[in-house]
Amino acid sequence: MNGLIESRGLVRHFGDERAVDGIDLVVDAGDVHAIVGLNGAGKTTLMRLLLGMVRPDAGVASVLGSNVVEAGPSIWSRVGYLVETPFYYPDLTTRENIAIAATLHGVDQTGLDDSVAKTLAILELDHWADRKAKTLSLGNRQRLGLATALVHEPRVLLLDEPANALDPAGVVLVRDLLREQASLGAAILVSSHHLDQLARVADAITVMHRGRVVGALDPSDSDLEQRFFDLVREADQDVPLERR
Amino acid sequence: MTPALRVEWLKFRRSPVVMVATVLMAVLLPAMGLGIFSVASTEAVGPMAAKVQGLLIGEGWNAYLGGVAQIAAAAVFVGAGVVAAWTFGREHADRTFPSLFALAVSRSSIASAKFVILACWVFGLAIAVGLVSTVVGIAGAVGEAGGTELAAPALRLMFVVAATGVLATAAGYVASVGRGYLPAIGAIIVVVAIAQISVLFGAGGWFPFAVPGLVAITGSEAAPSLSVAQVVLVPVVALAVMWLTVRWWDRAEVA
Repeated sequence: MNGLIESRGLVRHFGDERAVDGIDLVVDAGDVHAIVGLNGAGKTTLMRLLLGMVRPDAGVASVLGSNVVEAGPSIWSRVGYLVETPFYYPDLTTRENIAIAATLHGVDQTGLDDSVAKTLAILELDHWADRKAKTLSLGNRQRLGLATALVHEPRVLLLDEPANALDPAGVVLVRDLLREQASLGAAILVSSHHLDQLARVADAITVMHRGRVVGALDPSDSDLEQRFFDLVREADQDVPLERR
Repeated sequence: MTPALRVEWLKFRRSPVVMVATVLMAVLLPAMGLGIFSVASTEAVGPMAAKVQGLLIGEGWNAYLGGVAQIAAAAVFVGAGVVAAWTFGREHADRTFPSLFALAVSRSSIASAKFVILACWVFGLAIAVGLVSTVVGIAGAVGEAGGTELAAPALRLMFVVAATGVLATAAGYVASVGRGYLPAIGAIIVVVAIAQISVLFGAGGWFPFAVPGLVAITGSEAAPSLSVAQVVLVPVVALAVMWLTVRWWDRAEVA
């Protein structure tokens, strides 16, 4: 395996449901790879498999060349993620939450304050640094979640809907952040429903539907939305009507 | 301090649940004990006074601190159980549990750190209840400070609080497996009920969750004599549940 993020034949069931059904995917250093799909397509489950949050029924998930089932602290200290909900404790301040994430990601205590201060500045959270997280707006909680994913300067980033709840300035900030991290050599896997946003930031776009990869989109395509629905409809034609 | 301990200690000391539970137990238990002692010591007659007088064993410090210990055997199980349930269950209620995967610090280290902090807090609480009860007792003219009359019941009170608190950390297991603190609070109520029933049927000595309550009534006619094995079961059961909890955290998936 050569990519920093790799999925080889990953399968995961939840009861009778095949949430992820034989996914192959590789993200190299410096690439922003987007996955798009309708609700329930399997995007979040794929990210959970790549982070060891759930175990695969078949196939291999690897990060930084290591099978995630066996990965240890040296691997995970170089991985950052925001999957589903931002990581924060309501009773702690923004600064404390970022410090906690940095500590759990293995940042040395001697450099902790600098890392936290730098991340607060990057995410434009300085003004709210000493406010409890429960008092933050939804958008600023999302920024806090991004801060906890980035504070340890990871080489691998997995972000599920990173622009959720962000205002237009926040969306631009995330876009710039992703491009900057990629230029520094990070491998980034990002999911979103917003095709126009992905077109501006992604190097490759994979379309998932019913747990499978059903095609790819060219980010420079002028009508991504139409192309996306064409791929989904084509995939549905292979599925019996009662299972759609 | 390890990274997991540093993080868990910050979360623990900032938790309003912990602060409220600590203050309530450290202040209310001695106050209630003194209230019962005062009612029992007066010449009052009537059903209330008779009931209260039946609760206390001996006189002076023995009666007062024994009364506090009896209340503590149930109240600390609920109070410390709620704190343990909160400590583990909050990760599910606050939806932070998925974010404790894929970290440089393992989930088993995080769960172990939670138990270390809970255990230190329980022992601190035992000392605090002992000290506050003594001060309240002196202020309430229960007896004088110092001497063997005070030492034995005070130590017994601290043992009851510590043993009850350590057993109550088992709520952390239910909160983990049940993925929230509410199932654990339900389990606390069930265990308190089973402990009462086991004592009624004379089997309380072999039900570790009832043992601190039996220690609290040492000296009364109703108290069975406890064997060393029955007392040793208390830390054994507490440690076994801690081990099960850490193992669950090590193997769990995101729901």
